[in-house]
Amino acid sequence: MTPTAPVSRRQFLSLAGMLAGTAALAACSGSPIAGQTARPLQFWHLLSGADGVTMSGLIDTANAAQTAYGVHPTVLSWGEPYYTKLAMAAAGGRAPDLSVMHASRVVGYAPGGLLDPWDVQRLADLGVDEASFPAAVWEKGFVGDDLYSVALDAHPFILMFNTEICERAGVLDSDGRLRAVSSPEDFLELARAVAGESEGHGLSYGYLGDGAQMWRLFYTLYTQHGSEIELPEGGTAEMDDDVALTALTFMQQLLDGEIAARENDYQSAIAEFATGRSGLFLTGVWELRSMQQADLPLDATLIPTLFGTPSVYADSHAFTLPHQSSPNPETRDLVYRFVADILKGSFDWAGAGHIPAYLPVTEAPAYADLLPQAHYAEAAEYVRYDPPAWFTGSGSRFQAEFGSAVQNVLLGGDDPVAAITRFRSRLDTQLRTPNPANPQGGAS
Amino acid sequence: MTTTAPAASTATVVTGRPGARVRHATGERRETAAAWGFLTPFMIAFVLFLVWPLLHGLYLSFTDQSLTGAGGGFVGFANYAEALGDPVMWRSLGNTVWFTILSTVPLVLLALVMALLVHRGLPAQWLWRLSFFMPYLLASTVISQIWVWIFNPQIGAANRVLAWFGLEPLAWLQSPDTNMYAIVIATVWWTVGFNFLLYLAALQNIPAQQYEAAAIDGAGPWRQLWSITLPQLGQVTVLIVILQMLASLKLFDQAYQMLGGVASDTTRSIVQYIYEAGFVGYRFGYSSAISYVFFAIIVIIGVVQAFAMRRRGEQS
Repeated sequence: MTPTAPVSRRQFLSLAGMLAGTAALAACSGSPIAGQTARPLQFWHLLSGADGVTMSGLIDTANAAQTAYGVHPTVLSWGEPYYTKLAMAAAGGRAPDLSVMHASRVVGYAPGGLLDPWDVQRLADLGVDEASFPAAVWEKGFVGDDLYSVALDAHPFILMFNTEICERAGVLDSDGRLRAVSSPEDFLELARAVAGESEGHGLSYGYLGDGAQMWRLFYTLYTQHGSEIELPEGGTAEMDDDVALTALTFMQQLLDGEIAARENDYQSAIAEFATGRSGLFLTGVWELRSMQQADLPLDATLIPTLFGTPSVYADSHAFTLPHQSSPNPETRDLVYRFVADILKGSFDWAGAGHIPAYLPVTEAPAYADLLPQAHYAEAAEYVRYDPPAWFTGSGSRFQAEFGSAVQNVLLGGDDPVAAITRFRSRLDTQLRTPNPANPQGGAS
Repeated sequence: MTTTAPAASTATVVTGRPGARVRHATGERRETAAAWGFLTPFMIAFVLFLVWPLLHGLYLSFTDQSLTGAGGGFVGFANYAEALGDPVMWRSLGNTVWFTILSTVPLVLLALVMALLVHRGLPAQWLWRLSFFMPYLLASTVISQIWVWIFNPQIGAANRVLAWFGLEPLAWLQSPDTNMYAIVIATVWWTVGFNFLLYLAALQNIPAQQYEAAAIDGAGPWRQLWSITLPQLGQVTVLIVILQMLASLKLFDQAYQMLGGVASDTTRSIVQYIYEAGFVGYRFGYSSAISYVFFAIIVIIGVVQAFAMRRRGEQS
């Protein structure tokens, strides 16, 4: 006897089809809360980890505070992958409505027509103008006469310290802050004192295989001499070799195996400081949140001025308008509103360690109470970005080339003079190459 | 020994009835049509994804085309002239050849030794086969991460091993003196399983009777190895060496990932330089020119290899 199926195959398929159709229709209807009026804004950024979580919070807050727009962020891996994708999207003219770039990378994009300029007047109408930014940070947004990026923050290279270890080493002043030092010798002495009280090394500094890390410290020390590197297009690099030599030799002195480990990569340096085995840590502000989560007795300060001029390597996460062939005016106007909303609400961004670029945020009393952020906030006044050129900037080949040229000086004690000559030669090769995004040169 | 003629050829010979040739011709046409039917999808894919990009790349190599869409003007042989005078290109090429030499030798010899050991009847053969071949199944991202940990100067296992022997710790991946060797070690661990498998298959194809006959004649294991096994592995060794050289010349992903995308003078391969020129420096024209210089070098190596093999074949 053939058993009778309770539901025939045809019935089953019909039922499944109906269910699928219903589900598809339900998906198309969207959420009633999302609203019919909110215009979607496509936003690409490169912020992951703790920064990514903080940025998601800022976006959610901005989305919830109004009904005109709904920002949909796309997070891409930072560095080469991000910048390549962004350049290609902009070259095709169908880029997202808004992107975050490092301010130092803008100069490689703007003259090639990969970015659209901001309307300064419209920004001013929304309360975002020159007066509301530190001068160096606002000016960095310009390429020629046009504003191409609006900074969200400044994220300098700083010095974190473990207050317990430093106190034992006797290098704190009466306020519990790191004792002021003003010469390389003083700093070496201070770091040795800290090393004496540390289980590991006095100073954690990870640089192996990381051109950016080497560059950040080098350029901080280089610019503390009151010098900057100039990279004129088609010319040769203008770099003071004596100053470069002093900076590099000082870095070599730090990595003596006592003050700092000779062989330390970035992650190992983080691990050393986060586990309380070192008293000082040379790093970017972006590591602050993870260090706070490590529950350390923590404070932070600017890298001391050792060569006369207060200066610190930094970059800024900055809002840019990747080129669109025919931008929708209403969408673009909402992008301006969104950027203004985020800047004004960027107090939470300080929680991630960054120094908000929007002055009303850092000048508010609440920011003064935010420690240790307030202890290094003045770094925004002394920021030095990468020397402007199409091939420089955060995550660029330039920084990798620098690391490649000097790493063995730090690791193997090689001759710093030869390393500087090597770096100079690489710079000159790059300078001879026209900006590939704008091979004809000039502003587009 | 008897052979049976295929049915189709019987049909062509045994004719005599009118119309048989016509039917045969129709069958042949059908077969041809069917063959084209099977071939066409592949041909379309071949032209679209190989022939066209090859020709387009060749065209680009004569332009200053940027990845961002700028430029594109014809520049003649300027890119080739620049490539031939570019020390970074030559250095990258040198690194690639050095890696090929360093990796091919152990990848062939180790695979042979491993296959011989397993074939000779180690206990738990399945376990050895699995463990030798397993790394080959892993993605380059996975093996890169594993070896980044192993080579970590502070906490990695590699320096622990050095410490057992009283040796100083090394910055394996970061020091220009050691990073190429570190990449070779990781690559050998990762890919030796494939060559091992080829050797094992070849070993299993050697008839057991030959060993039995040799044993009766009094040949010991070493004599059998030298006089039976190794000579019969000659052809598969040539195949493995060729495949290995081609694979090693394409060095890129594991080196790029293990060094975190950092351009190291001592490990930058030619493929990485092509990538850097095109996707980091946005210079598509120049990148294409380097690709074609590399292509030409591979063709030359291939031709030399083919001649060498033919001479060897003639001699044998």
